[in-house]
Amino acid sequence: MSNDLHSLDRAIELALSVGVLMSGACLILGLWLGSTPLLRWGLVLLLATPMARVVVVTFGLFQRRDWLFASISLWIFLVLASAASVGLHLRP
Amino acid sequence: MAGTSALSHGDDGLFDPDSAPPFPRSVTIAVVIPLPTALLVLTGAATGLVGSLLGLGGGVFLVPILTLAMGVPIRAAVAASLFSVIATASASATVNLSRGLVNIRLGLVLEVATSLGGLAGGLAAAYLSQRQLFLTFAITLLAMGIAMARRSGRRNVIADLATDPGPLGGRLTEAGASYVYRVRRLPLALGASVVAGTVSGLLGLGGGIVKVPVLNAFCGVPMRVAAGTSTFMIGVTASASAFLYFGRGDVALPLTAAIALGALPGSLLGARFSDRFGTRSLKVLMTGVLILVAVRMALEAW
Repeated sequence: MSNDLHSLDRAIELALSVGVLMSGACLILGLWLGSTPLLRWGLVLLLATPMARVVVVTFGLFQRRDWLFASISLWIFLVLASAASVGLHLRP
Repeated sequence: MAGTSALSHGDDGLFDPDSAPPFPRSVTIAVVIPLPTALLVLTGAATGLVGSLLGLGGGVFLVPILTLAMGVPIRAAVAASLFSVIATASASATVNLSRGLVNIRLGLVLEVATSLGGLAGGLAAAYLSQRQLFLTFAITLLAMGIAMARRSGRRNVIADLATDPGPLGGRLTEAGASYVYRVRRLPLALGASVVAGTVSGLLGLGGGIVKVPVLNAFCGVPMRVAAGTSTFMIGVTASASAFLYFGRGDVALPLTAAIALGALPGSLLGARFSDRFGTRSLKVLMTGVLILVAVRMALEAW
């Protein structure tokens, strides 16, 4: 039943690893150089990593014609996207 | 309180007034910067390690450490904790995936609830008094700890491999033996996930501390799968609320960066070591943690 999803594991792992490595590199450099823009980028990349994972899963499920779970995953993406857009429009 | 000197608007060279913070909440930033970066990275690593061992995300320890021991303002501590939860989830999910400890379908269904809760909690955080929050949370944790302790001996897997796991259940191979589990009481799991997401958004605790005990004790999910699936989900839960904290300017950049940076290797290590822990000791440890944090939170509310 859930065996067909194991082929998605690699893609998820890749998305998470790339996000984490890029974010980690920005954070190390940012702390080392005392660069605020780099720190900000590092944290934004970290924020984007779960979203990238959701995109990968949604795409993979649509590809597998698993419509129910693909729509569930799409819904999660929309919730995250609205959180991001609300966040962007908040004024500090 | 310890660390008070580190909190003064520093002339100790670490805070440079010329590189003025880009947003108005400069007080938070000025207060937080003087804490040594190495100490923060280590704190992030330690809490990430323990968090991913338990499938919690580490915020349970991080928020009390940052606020009580280091005197960081609560909102900045919660924001830092949310980012460390994302780091923990992203780093350790890879390990859990390759071990087959993540039930993706169940995770997706519950994420619908946790992400909405995370959004609601992140929005509500701006309006609620921390004192009320700590007290409510202490009570929730205590209830979870008691439920966990009472039901920790229950077997919730089926040894008969011919049993249909259903659309959300699955198979698990542990210590050479295979098991089948079915997910029971889905509405309860969804309800717990909304609560977990809200709590996550309000207090920066990934939410595993609510979901894992409920999934394990009441919904028939084996402990390791509950923890693995929770770790898979908490990144999404935390990012839903972290966007709001980021937008409001509650994120103290150097503090959060140092904590998140430490959490990455810490949680990876924790995830790798988690299979050396027996399920039994995992449950006992979890119960202890729940009660300990509940007492801490109650004291904070006082």
